[in-house]
Amino acid sequence: MNVKHNLQELTNIATRLRLHVVDMVAPSGQGYVQQGLGAADIFTTLYFAEATMDPANPFWPDRDRIFLTTAHNTAIFYATLAERGFFDVADLATYVTDGSPLEINSSERMGSFVEATCGSLGQGLSVAIGCALAAKRQGRASRFYVILGDGEMQEGQVWEAAMYAGTQGLDNLCIIVDYNFVQSEGPMDLVMSLEPIMDKMESFGFVCQEVDGNDIESLLAAYDMARTTKNKPSFIKANTLMGKGVASLEGLMFHQLRFPPEVAASARAELEMQL
Amino acid sequence: MNETLTQLEAADFINRSFKPLPRAYGEALVSAAKADSRIVALCADLVPPTETDLFRDELPERFHNVGIAEANMIGLAGGMARCGEIPFCHSFCAFITKRVLDQITMQAAYPNLPVKIVGYLPGVATLLGVSHQAIEDVAIMRSVPNVAIFEPSGPEYHATMVKLALDWDGPVYLRMKRPETTPDEFTPQSLEIGKGIIRREGSDVTIISAGLCLAESLTAADNLDNEGIESRVIDMASIKPIDQALILESAARTGAIVTAENHSIIGGLGSAVAEIIVEEGIGLPFKRVGIKDQFCEGGTTSYLMKKFGLDASAIAMAAHQVMEKKG
Repeated sequence: MNVKHNLQELTNIATRLRLHVVDMVAPSGQGYVQQGLGAADIFTTLYFAEATMDPANPFWPDRDRIFLTTAHNTAIFYATLAERGFFDVADLATYVTDGSPLEINSSERMGSFVEATCGSLGQGLSVAIGCALAAKRQGRASRFYVILGDGEMQEGQVWEAAMYAGTQGLDNLCIIVDYNFVQSEGPMDLVMSLEPIMDKMESFGFVCQEVDGNDIESLLAAYDMARTTKNKPSFIKANTLMGKGVASLEGLMFHQLRFPPEVAASARAELEMQL
Repeated sequence: MNETLTQLEAADFINRSFKPLPRAYGEALVSAAKADSRIVALCADLVPPTETDLFRDELPERFHNVGIAEANMIGLAGGMARCGEIPFCHSFCAFITKRVLDQITMQAAYPNLPVKIVGYLPGVATLLGVSHQAIEDVAIMRSVPNVAIFEPSGPEYHATMVKLALDWDGPVYLRMKRPETTPDEFTPQSLEIGKGIIRREGSDVTIISAGLCLAESLTAADNLDNEGIESRVIDMASIKPIDQALILESAARTGAIVTAENHSIIGGLGSAVAEIIVEEGIGLPFKRVGIKDQFCEGGTTSYLMKKFGLDASAIAMAAHQVMEKKG
């Protein structure tokens, strides 16, 4: 079930996911395009290389669990789940339409592959830690991956949870912070900086790594190290570029991007060239 | 329990006596956990005051003192429940409801997980003052879908609370109060989810109560009896789901209702009873005894119950008022 792909395959998957993001957000004319494009490599590496799961049996108790705690980053999340086989790719066309379970904030009403309902920021890490503790108690080898938002780390509960994971030495836990440096009202350092984030997390008992979050090999190497680390939880600061993969969008730091049809069309053309 | 505590040792927030207090809840939780390995206990650093010291000592591998971090505790419990465990979370009522409402809503109630939320220090039952007094917790929790609320009227029902919590296949809020003395011998009636217990029968007025106010209601009923007023007294330990049939039958039988609760008059037991009566189209003399939309203060429980109008004389006065209206 853990399908190891080669680098070219993973790169192509990431591009396909980016195409879905463009197609899914385009009809509504605005949405979480930039985050989706930026995080595509994190989702690709986690779901298509690192984590062990079985889409035919989503309740499998020994699965690795991935928690997307920034539950609004759904275009890339749903694209990933569909491509990984959890539901039909055709359903992506219902994204953010009335009645569709593909809501703008992911809800577990979609299925158990949404491991927790996390739209209220700061809560998902605690849930993952609860699962990680239960798995240890039950003797399961499962691992627990949490995709945290950088802005989300301003929530106090994240630090309560991190403190507990650190003191418990939870080595089956791996946080990947999608460090795109943007929150709702703009760049993080203009709102409230997290720095020095590596020092902070290290002092909370985590083994910390900083990687280019758009470099597939670096991400895979970081997961490898996290997996082989004993008695400490892992923290990966994955620096991602908003809009990655579409030259005209790269580095546009908007939490919600206005996304007119002509921009969507040219983004689509550019991504198709990469396949 | 004749032992006297004379060692110089850590005192707990609740037991201010030199006698060990009975811990029927804590004992029942341990025995349930011994029979069912899914049960785990979490506590936000209030271990003896929530009777979880027994669990900590007997089942340490299934016990987590998570520190003074209630939000994280509820999230952890959500995760554990997702992995097949039945977590019982412990703190004071004020902290385990108001402080973590969003966490309860999203990580226990919406997913309808068997997360059991156990609070101590209900209403005015504490010296510790406004910060530690939960006078709106029932109102808040009652409005959260999927959550059941049970409040024992005395220590004789504490062991049953564990059973009710387990019988409800979803999130539960237990509104607990540590006993201050060893209770007299008492054979409790059996408690069921969604059923009130008639503790005293009478045909003039019905007093519907729960928790700390139940004993006051029984005292009020004795005093009313001396004045020729016969009261039915109901222990509504299952606040949600509530015993609609018994409320309507009591309305029809006695034609006057008083509710009495150690909680704000807004949104709690009194409101729940009123909603049922009004929606049935019944008009009758009705009075809520509770904290009258105000904050309280630190003090002994008996002092506060008198000062804020929750004691037997306040309940009896309310009964007189509805009797007058009934004519």
